[in-house]
Amino acid sequence: MNTNQDTKSTLPPFNEVIELPKQFMRNKEWLKARTLWAVLRNSYPTHAEPWLQGAITEISCDELELAGHLLAHARNQFPNNPYTYLISSELSIKNKQWGEAEHFLQQARDKDPDIPQLWIKSAECAEHQGNQKQASIFNEKARQCDPNAPAAFIQHAELAMHAEQWELALERWEEFRSRFPEIPAGYLRASEAARQLDRPKKARQLVLAQQYGADILNTQASIHDMPKLHGGHTSPGRLLELIWTKAIFNLRSEVHHNYLSYGWWILEPLLHMVVYYLVFGLLLQRGGENYPIFLLTGLIPWMWFLKAVNGSCNSIIAGQNLMLQVGIPSVVFPLVSLLQVTLKQIPVFILLFGFLWLQDYSPGALWWALVPIIVVQTLLTIAFASMVAAIIPFMRDLSFLVPTGLTLLMFLSGIFYDYRTISPEWQSLFLLNPMAFLLKCYRELFIDGILPDMQTLTWCGIGSAAACTVMMLTYKRLRYIYPRIIME
Amino acid sequence: MKPIISLRDVAVRYKRSGNVFRKKSYFDALKSINLDIYPGETLGILGRNGSGKSTLLRIISGIIRPDRGRMVNHGASVSLLALQAGFDPNLNGSDNAILSGMLQGYSRREVQNKLDEIQEYSELGEFFFEPVRTYSTGMRARLGFSVTTIISPDILLVDEVLSVGDLHFKQKAERTMVEKIQSHQTVVLVSHSHQQIARLCDRAVLIDDGISFATGEPSKVLSIYEERLAKNKIN
Repeated sequence: MNTNQDTKSTLPPFNEVIELPKQFMRNKEWLKARTLWAVLRNSYPTHAEPWLQGAITEISCDELELAGHLLAHARNQFPNNPYTYLISSELSIKNKQWGEAEHFLQQARDKDPDIPQLWIKSAECAEHQGNQKQASIFNEKARQCDPNAPAAFIQHAELAMHAEQWELALERWEEFRSRFPEIPAGYLRASEAARQLDRPKKARQLVLAQQYGADILNTQASIHDMPKLHGGHTSPGRLLELIWTKAIFNLRSEVHHNYLSYGWWILEPLLHMVVYYLVFGLLLQRGGENYPIFLLTGLIPWMWFLKAVNGSCNSIIAGQNLMLQVGIPSVVFPLVSLLQVTLKQIPVFILLFGFLWLQDYSPGALWWALVPIIVVQTLLTIAFASMVAAIIPFMRDLSFLVPTGLTLLMFLSGIFYDYRTISPEWQSLFLLNPMAFLLKCYRELFIDGILPDMQTLTWCGIGSAAACTVMMLTYKRLRYIYPRIIME
Repeated sequence: MKPIISLRDVAVRYKRSGNVFRKKSYFDALKSINLDIYPGETLGILGRNGSGKSTLLRIISGIIRPDRGRMVNHGASVSLLALQAGFDPNLNGSDNAILSGMLQGYSRREVQNKLDEIQEYSELGEFFFEPVRTYSTGMRARLGFSVTTIISPDILLVDEVLSVGDLHFKQKAERTMVEKIQSHQTVVLVSHSHQQIARLCDRAVLIDDGISFATGEPSKVLSIYEERLAKNKIN
């Protein structure tokens, strides 16, 4: 007797000891929880918890008979504790004795009507007995008891699901999501309802919303207010803007590497000229005292043409990756190269004008003729460069011949010598080469100070424009061919 | 509902060009594709490597034309989601964004108006104004994807791009794609991830050996695909 007294006095406070078995229950370590509750029933027989929690543990272990004993004892010992009846009803539900469960719940509700769990169980019980209406009423009570607990709201929606009222269920899940946006059931079960309604898109949306956040359900095309693409590259204005921007950016990219950056645009052609001057003017003693001027007026326009053709000849092949990624017309590629080269030639031309001025070949009244000459050369360059660029993807071997061909053309254009020094019967044939004719025009204007042969120039311009048109039409026809032959 | 793009018995044959030492030969990338794309849907394209998926996207986007059969586009603009299209390593992020946006069909002004958004999305900070050659692979991928977020054609073609950058950015990119899919955007998605197709698509089409082998609900098409894959392993 004495020893019993001793143990009692040394027992720790009840509130502290029940934490451990509850912990085991949360971790679903039922066997450990069982043992502990049994010990606590012995040590603290006047507390309800070891009996009630012990009964829950036994139910979880499927020891229904033992649970029944514990609950019977609890009903005797703690008749005013509403949880005694709530847990008793749980066992009855487990035993599918719905009437008995309802009886216990009724008693619990009489003791304390403010336990949400009680109403949820009551609704569950009523639903099982086929009383939907009563279930709804009980559920409403549960929701009113604690509007911050999700369980009652889940039941609310599930009641509709069980009754196969899918539309109603969707509505209820939506309300549930607005209250508890973090709980997956609001999306996943709603998705099930949507699937039942044969709305797979909505169903998928809900699943995705669970993963990516509820706001994707509301982003109806509002996130990307970019104007819809229509036609894209088909308008010529867009295309020109693209060509211009790409050319400028290419130039920017090009100078990036070099220490002298833009300085090379002037230096490189200057060095070229020095080399030709040394070879033809000093070593070979050609031309006489005006030779530098003669050389420059031929070489500078020629280098524009040469670089444009060289630059664009492989441009379509170089653009193959881009062509397969975005549907841009292939004519963009040679035109970008061409524009890029042309922009680089502008300072060189300005240098030429300055040089002429210093050498007393000052601009005269006839210099307006420079405009048509440059226009014709532009057209000629576009036609020729785009033609070479168009052919090379079909016959790549040709790219090996381009430099040789251009060298031949260079010697046939009279850059280092005056066409008048060749025998007269060949001169008219020589001038059929449009580049030779254009160089003749530049020199007549700059050196001789006379108006070039405008009639021939006009014909040359018309011919070049026609060739440009033919090339543009050709590119249009080949638009869908290039991405393929490049892959092949 | 009326389709916005229809493909009927579409075939594409590539020529393997010959030379002095080798004879010309042909390769049938697509043999017979029948397919409709409906407005607002997300269509998944399944198939093994080399089954012709990329060629199919090129046909749909109008970059190439079929050798046989018909593709009818009822006036929809189509864009392939082209990551890092036209990137120039020597230019800075901003210039590359402008260029890439313009290459995908926008005007310079339209892209410039979006530059701040692109910069913010890319999370590149001041690096946005540094040359792209100084970027890490991940940063480049981030810039590439950020540019494409502004693109909204009628039909967006996506070819295995949902794996860009680090885990954080990958999730962000995936989320953006999901947002696009949830909006009324029509999306054609090529993916090797069965789970992705099942999760994102309204319909799926299985391309096998250049033929549109099965079309329908993703789960059904996926099971046909898996069956075929298993069969091929045994053989």
